Amino acid sequence: MADDNRGLVAAGAVLVWRRQRVLWWVFAVNLVLGLLGAAGARSELGRVLQHSLAGNGLTRGFDFGMFLELVNQPTVNLMRSAGGSFLFAALFPLFMIFVTGGILAVYREDRRFTAGDFFAASGAFFWRFVRVALFSLIPFGILGFGLWAVNKLSDYIGDRSVSAQTGFYILLPSAILVTLLVLFVRLWFDIAQVRAVVQDEHVMWRNLWKALGITRRNVMTLFRVYLCISGVAWVTLAAGLFLWAKLPPTATPVTFLLLEFIILMQLLTRLWQRASAVTWYKRHAAVFPSDAVDYTIAAPAELVESVAASPDQVPASRSDTPAPSAEPEAPAEQ
Amino acid sequence: MRRKRLVFAVVAILLSTLAARGQSTFAPKVSGPLSQRVVAYQIDARYEPDKHTVDATETLTYHNLTGRALDRFPFHLYLNAFQPKSTWVHVAHRDGSFRTSSFEEGWDPKHSGSNDVTSLEAVGMGDLTKQMKFVSPDDGNPDDKTVMEVALPRSVEPGQDVTFKIKFRATFPEVVARTGYKRAFLLAGQWFPKVGVWWNGAWNCHQFHAMTEFFADFGTYDVKITLPKNYVIGATGVQTSDTDNGNGTKTVAFHAEDVHDFAWTADPNFKVLDSEFDGSVGAVKVRLLTYDSHKSSWQRYLDVMQGTMKHFDDWYGPYPYAQITVVDPPHGAFEAGGMEYPTFITGATVWWAPKGQKELPEVATEHEFGHQYWYGMVATNEFENAWLDEGINSYTEVKVMASLYGKNTDVLNWLGAQMGDAAEQRLSYIRVAETDSLSQPSYQDMSIGSYGGVTYGKTATMLLTLEAVVGEQTLQKALRTYFMKYRFTHPTQEDFLRTVNEVAGQDLGWYWQQAVYGTQVLDYKVRRADSTRVDWPNKDAPEEKKGETLYQTDVLLQRLGDFIFPVVAEVKFDDGETIRETWDGQDRWKRFVYRKKAKVLSVEIDPDHQLTMDRDYLNNSIATEPQRGATQKIATYWTFLTQFCAQMLGWLT
Repeated sequence: MADDNRGLVAAGAVLVWRRQRVLWWVFAVNLVLGLLGAAGARSELGRVLQHSLAGNGLTRGFDFGMFLELVNQPTVNLMRSAGGSFLFAALFPLFMIFVTGGILAVYREDRRFTAGDFFAASGAFFWRFVRVALFSLIPFGILGFGLWAVNKLSDYIGDRSVSAQTGFYILLPSAILVTLLVLFVRLWFDIAQVRAVVQDEHVMWRNLWKALGITRRNVMTLFRVYLCISGVAWVTLAAGLFLWAKLPPTATPVTFLLLEFIILMQLLTRLWQRASAVTWYKRHAAVFPSDAVDYTIAAPAELVESVAASPDQVPASRSDTPAPSAEPEAPAEQ
Repeated sequence: MRRKRLVFAVVAILLSTLAARGQSTFAPKVSGPLSQRVVAYQIDARYEPDKHTVDATETLTYHNLTGRALDRFPFHLYLNAFQPKSTWVHVAHRDGSFRTSSFEEGWDPKHSGSNDVTSLEAVGMGDLTKQMKFVSPDDGNPDDKTVMEVALPRSVEPGQDVTFKIKFRATFPEVVARTGYKRAFLLAGQWFPKVGVWWNGAWNCHQFHAMTEFFADFGTYDVKITLPKNYVIGATGVQTSDTDNGNGTKTVAFHAEDVHDFAWTADPNFKVLDSEFDGSVGAVKVRLLTYDSHKSSWQRYLDVMQGTMKHFDDWYGPYPYAQITVVDPPHGAFEAGGMEYPTFITGATVWWAPKGQKELPEVATEHEFGHQYWYGMVATNEFENAWLDEGINSYTEVKVMASLYGKNTDVLNWLGAQMGDAAEQRLSYIRVAETDSLSQPSYQDMSIGSYGGVTYGKTATMLLTLEAVVGEQTLQKALRTYFMKYRFTHPTQEDFLRTVNEVAGQDLGWYWQQAVYGTQVLDYKVRRADSTRVDWPNKDAPEEKKGETLYQTDVLLQRLGDFIFPVVAEVKFDDGETIRETWDGQDRWKRFVYRKKAKVLSVEIDPDHQLTMDRDYLNNSIATEPQRGATQKIATYWTFLTQFCAQMLGWLT
């Protein structure tokens, strides 16, 4: 089984590349939301700067004093635009919850979906993934509280230490640990979503429980994959920001392209993680034939479980497909 | 054995006294006295680090140079401000916060402090402890105990001295409002009973206010502090002795002349870095008391001190003292940072401060050193005319920082963003432009926020704007003249304004009335700038052709604010010609009309960007062609941040 884990990262990348339409659509939605989120600020700025030379310092460099002046001038409601921007930003996770079913179905079947197929799959899993997202608030909330507690603790200890860095040295490893735990939770819930799609699981608390078992048993393999891809995301983010800082201040179009490339890479790596998770799951679990799951009609949970439990119930027309099993086999950890 | 010890102690005391006399408090080419020494303080203090208390005996000799008999004396007891019902706490709570301390969650007992006078005697007049009473000259708050007054049984005649012997205990709060402890660190400011100032025919001894700082008479200080021997100590003046008491403590003596306050600091963890500034009156020792964990800021402190001292020496006058002590407070003691006492300042830094931001430690250190001139030597009344210290100092801070680190980069030059100190001062002013005049008693300003914006920001901005009238060099000369003429004399705001008038050779009353005595707001606007074909009524006119078609250009300038100031407007045409027009700014509007074979490109009021008092820069210009660069750039960043925030939220689902 160990061999099955080889090239997971690469296989995930290839899958994202082959199904890149998914990436471009997600990026397009993200960009549209970003543009809409910035529209208020753009409009306000345009109103006051369109025929004023006051913005020259912002064009030639980034005159932070002028920016603060724009923020502070009562005639410019720049900060009011920030609330609207956040609302548009908050729409994106809702969109992602909606399309995750479709994305995972595309990766599972590794074929081009029509828009109808895609949205049918998205819709079929939407409410299930809403429940998954709500369940995820529990571990993320616990980790958030943990980080808050560690922060308080580091403040407390740091406040009593002669060295100014003590608090930081406590907080840094704690923050790294929490980040890794957050990554683990993300992996666990991703596996749950993959499992829900692959096995058409309906009962999400049970799905999460089983996904936790799968993730726990295969944590080394899966976590390594996720960490590796996250590393790519972090490196591209850091490199992008480094390049951005080196760009001439007047190169706004190039800056726009670079910043969008950064966003694209962040979204790409996220889809890469999902594609890798699907690939891993497919390698270790017998998969339903693609047409065995009618995404448009929610199948009763009992049927799914009984199908999963009995190879005899696999449709005859797809008898060449390996008999599905309820869970992926646990590969030997390396 | 006992006798031997006694002899040894006497010899040690004699030697330390001789050493004290040999140790000058002035730079090599300076000899005192520099001031009319009204007071002489001798304080013997013992610090108990575990209790954060100082028990001390103070001997104060007051020379009555007022020209009249005095039969009552007020004293500041400023540590009593740190009590829940004091005026200081009331105002700090009303306005939400003070410096970095917030009182939104109620009074924290760790911020409690006190000055308890246990006995007070006037030599030759007996014990006056029972004559002491608290007074509240500013607001009548019966719970405010920051000013104590004592009536004498007989008057001190003009020219005579009176000596007070005061025993007191100072209990320090955890660091707040420029004083207190943090872990083993102590900044002892406003810690001893300090007599008020006889000024303009009356005692001037204000309560401790949240907005303003201090005012005291010049004199001499001989202070001995006993504390655990592992402590490193720094103070106003120069250290004259350091005696090991053999019981785990040591007594360190300091001497200062021609100063009006005395502060000290102690911490066993201090690292001492000594350097020297070679000024026009000789070498000055620069002693930095810092921490190992602030190593990344050491050189930055030393560099900004060298640069600042050099500029002040060149521009305004010599620093006459032998030493300046710079304290770098430890982490968590920000409230102790950014404060000035005579020959003793506190900076502020954080260990991770990027070099591109200069607020910490550069601006803080520069600003506090500047106080040595305006607060320390000129010594105006900070309660009533805080702008003469804080404000003028903010202006000189802008000039020195710009010279050292660049006009537009001396506060921030990091990740492509820039900001200058002048812009920062202006921003703090325009937020509160209509609230308070500079001339009103500063402690009566509308709020802590308006005090800050007006006292610091408005003064700096108003003086920068004045450069447009009198010139930068003239104003620099005026400040030098003011400093050299009025140092050690407690001048008034009229003294300052008169000096600038004299040096500038013009009556600037019209400006002072608006900028100092008034709350007028300066705001000029380009209301209209457009070009119309002269032959527009002619339907058969030839096609528009650059360089051949004749246009009438209308430029309309408007005064929106009530501050009247002459302005320059720059008109640019598309044939490359640039015209500068001047307008006295008196009327509400002014129109300029041109007939040229060129169209107007832009009109800008104050093209040299000197009128920093102008509250709205956005309406100072009109460009006929769309200016999209700034909008596109900010919108690009805004879009990116929205997208990034969106994908982060999306990651969680």
